Amino acid sequence: MAQLTQAARPTTLDRPISIVSWLSRKNRAYYLLGYVLLILLSAWTIFPFYWQIATSVRLDVDLYRPSVTLVPQALTLEHYAKVLTGTSSQFPIQFRNSLYVGLGTTLVAVVFGSMGAYALTRLRFFARAGLARILVYAYLAPASVLFIPLFMLMNSLNLRDNLLGLALTHLTFSVPFATWMLMGYFKTLPIELEEAALVDGAGRLTTLWRIVMPLSAPAIVVVAVFTFTLSWNEFLYALVLIQAKENMTVPVGLTAYVVADVFYWGQMMAAATIMSLPPLLLYFFGQRWVIAGWTAGAVKN
Amino acid sequence: MATLGTTARRMPLAVPAGGPRLGRDWRLGYALTLPVVLVIVGLIAFPLGYSVWLSLQDIKLGGQGTFVGAGNYSKILLDSTSRIHDQFWNSVYVTAVYVGGALCGKFILGMTTALILHAQIKARNLWRALLFLPWSIPAIVSSYSWKWIYNDVNGIFNNLLMGYGLIERPILFLADPTLAVWSVLLAVIWQGTPFWTMTFLAGLQAIPHELYEAAEIDGASTAKSFWHITLPNLTSVILVTVMLSAIFTTNSIQYIYILTNGGPGGATETFPLLAISQGLRAYDLGIAAAIPLLFFPMFALFIYVLTKRMLRTES
Repeated sequence: MAQLTQAARPTTLDRPISIVSWLSRKNRAYYLLGYVLLILLSAWTIFPFYWQIATSVRLDVDLYRPSVTLVPQALTLEHYAKVLTGTSSQFPIQFRNSLYVGLGTTLVAVVFGSMGAYALTRLRFFARAGLARILVYAYLAPASVLFIPLFMLMNSLNLRDNLLGLALTHLTFSVPFATWMLMGYFKTLPIELEEAALVDGAGRLTTLWRIVMPLSAPAIVVVAVFTFTLSWNEFLYALVLIQAKENMTVPVGLTAYVVADVFYWGQMMAAATIMSLPPLLLYFFGQRWVIAGWTAGAVKN
Repeated sequence: MATLGTTARRMPLAVPAGGPRLGRDWRLGYALTLPVVLVIVGLIAFPLGYSVWLSLQDIKLGGQGTFVGAGNYSKILLDSTSRIHDQFWNSVYVTAVYVGGALCGKFILGMTTALILHAQIKARNLWRALLFLPWSIPAIVSSYSWKWIYNDVNGIFNNLLMGYGLIERPILFLADPTLAVWSVLLAVIWQGTPFWTMTFLAGLQAIPHELYEAAEIDGASTAKSFWHITLPNLTSVILVTVMLSAIFTTNSIQYIYILTNGGPGGATETFPLLAISQGLRAYDLGIAAAIPLLFFPMFALFIYVLTKRMLRTES
């Protein structure tokens, strides 16, 4: 997890290092091989994404011609229009459902996580170390074991086919994750500021709220982005718990573009592309914020 | 108590020993950890226990259960006349091929990518963004993209192959019993490689540069320094990544569910998919609860080793 925590922050790769580099001086073949591999690997990583976008802007006649071209012949936004404004389209509602579940889960995870992480790194009480260990167990508890009993649990709580019930199941991975990540960050914060505040008569909760939380803003953003993304993409619990179309989140809602054996690929890929946007935007803006937070200096020990 | 003591020593918390100002406050400690504990107990520990209880019953959805002891387990494991017995052992085999194949593929591609990104290359940020792309796309989205790519009618693979006259009839990438698992694997490897690249990159950056310089002075070849410096220094990173990825790969069902839904004829039915079909289509909850639990000891072992390592690397 330490490695994960570090890698979750933007890594700088500025140090000039290593094998291919010094080989390149001796042996240009390696250097060339490196770039050839780079191009091949990039083509491999880009292609499915390119194909998703390309499909979403193609005309239906263009999609179902016997010989599909790699580059669309004519561009259209009709699939997007159908997905977003079509009279029978459930997509806007499902998008809203996903937002509710994702934001709710994230808020709860960050609040619970900060409280727990503060206690686990700053206070001493019986079973604290054991609890820290259980957190990791909890984070790794396999969803494939949990989904049947959680289904039964939500069933008996009358929370099956319900967004609140779904959000509760998302807490199983988001709360341990957020707590663990924030613990790692809280440990790096300078304790002197908090001690000074306590000496000046501030209570612990004030210290947590006025000193630890503001200093941890970058970590909280990272945790929030990750938690939201995990919840936004979650499929198994949503598949198992939700039945009604108007209660579905987007990942399960995508199955609506499969009618019997007919796939509406254009609309499907348009909906899928819109679904990919929130996490991408979050990463984009979140990262800037994180870097700003780090360079601000207050965080440095 | 001994374990508690050593763990506490391994985790240097920011509490000055015996410090009067920060430190003991057990009431606040319990109050602040209560929500987390409630989530763990109510939504993880209790369901786990409930799952064990379910697995000991013959119970259908909405019906009353009867206690059958180890009946479900012996039916799954030993009763060769029952259908679930064959399905279960098939899922053991499929899960092994699927997870094993995914780990090998991700290891090779992840290591290659990490080594290249770690080297001095031009426009590194751009390449990195491109190579990490599969990670930033929701798995459910890319699984549909792959389904469309593999499609027998108008799928781009078949279109290109037929366009160039390489094949006469479309290849049934997802409907052919022997081909399906490999098609799924290719897509799963595509999606999971960036995670490995990321952890390997972090690991590579932690290797002191001086080691390579010393090896160069001693005249070691690239292959030699990779074998004797890079790999040994990455051992613990590799171990952790393999175990984490094994857990994640087994549990993430989107790809199989969307691409083949376990078919054709169970050729891609890993155990979570078998559990889903038993629970949600056959409504046989006792069996559905027992199947993942049979795999739980393996998970538990991974989780135990991982936890130890994670807590140790904290210090």
